[in-house]
Amino acid sequence: MTFPLLAAGCKGVRALGTPPTPLPDVAVLNHAISAEKLMIARYRAAVSGSPGQAGLLGALLAQHEAHLARLTSRLIDPGATGRARPPSPAATPPASAIDALRAAEQDAANALVGHLTEVSPSLAQLLASIAASEASHALLLGSRGGTG
Amino acid sequence: MTRSKGTPSNPVARSEGTPSDPAARSEGTPSDPATEHDQSVLQSALAAEHAAIYGYGVVGAYLTGRLEQAAQQDWATHQVAMDALVSRLTSAGAQPVAAQDAYQLPFAVRSRAAAVALAAFLEGRVAEAYLGLVALDDPGLRAWGAQQVRASALRATFWSGRTAAFPGLPDPAGTGTAAFARPSAAP
Repeated sequence: MTFPLLAAGCKGVRALGTPPTPLPDVAVLNHAISAEKLMIARYRAAVSGSPGQAGLLGALLAQHEAHLARLTSRLIDPGATGRARPPSPAATPPASAIDALRAAEQDAANALVGHLTEVSPSLAQLLASIAASEASHALLLGSRGGTG
Repeated sequence: MTRSKGTPSNPVARSEGTPSDPAARSEGTPSDPATEHDQSVLQSALAAEHAAIYGYGVVGAYLTGRLEQAAQQDWATHQVAMDALVSRLTSAGAQPVAAQDAYQLPFAVRSRAAAVALAAFLEGRVAEAYLGLVALDDPGLRAWGAQQVRASALRATFWSGRTAAFPGLPDPAGTGTAAFARPSAAP
């Protein structure tokens, strides 16, 4: 059997030369997607460990899932995000779950803002918006800190 | 400054100005606008600030005590931001857009609950305007715009007791309304 590629005289993958360097947007997106996956895992763990806060945490979890969906939709090949480190949140004692989430939200918001000048205008807007959302999550969680 | 705990009905303390949230006190000065497009976006932000200042005047008229003080604080914050925008536009040789004599409110405000809802609405509009700065090439304006979007989202959460999934952006999925604990003060 003759493959069309060979029949066309192609010299194979090597002939294509060095793959192009991914745009900065892709690297930042993968970081952001990984961070959202980790946050979602943290929230799911917290919901199961803090049933008294399930309403609040469930609502914030839904917003993180929306963040993840919107970030992922910007990749041509969403499967590529499989390279992201699999989320593995440390076990959090229920008593400090809310405080731990609040700190994680604040860190995540700050990390996103740190990438703003590296990316395209539209992605910068999305990252800034998600960062603002996460900062407001932190504000809300702060008002419920220590109630685990 | 940290407000005493409590949104109109939900306890949400503000964190502006705290070390953990440096973006919350963000009424600093943007960098020089370099292009006409930059100036156009700054003008839009200025127009949103004018509307917010007018709106907070209405908000404050229906509130008392702690919430009235909060409205006054936010009114003052928007004044500072407005001044910064006017200064930048003027120094760039542009004529800053003027405030209108009055603005059409999105709904009738005749109660405390409606006033609180208006404050949250105003912050949403302001966040939308500042997100325009985030799309500019100027790194300083991009960063300042992001700080303002964040500060506005925090104020909106204070007033509404809710968070939005995408402050300043359209949210066709409606996740921005995924409220938990709807405040009784909201209409």
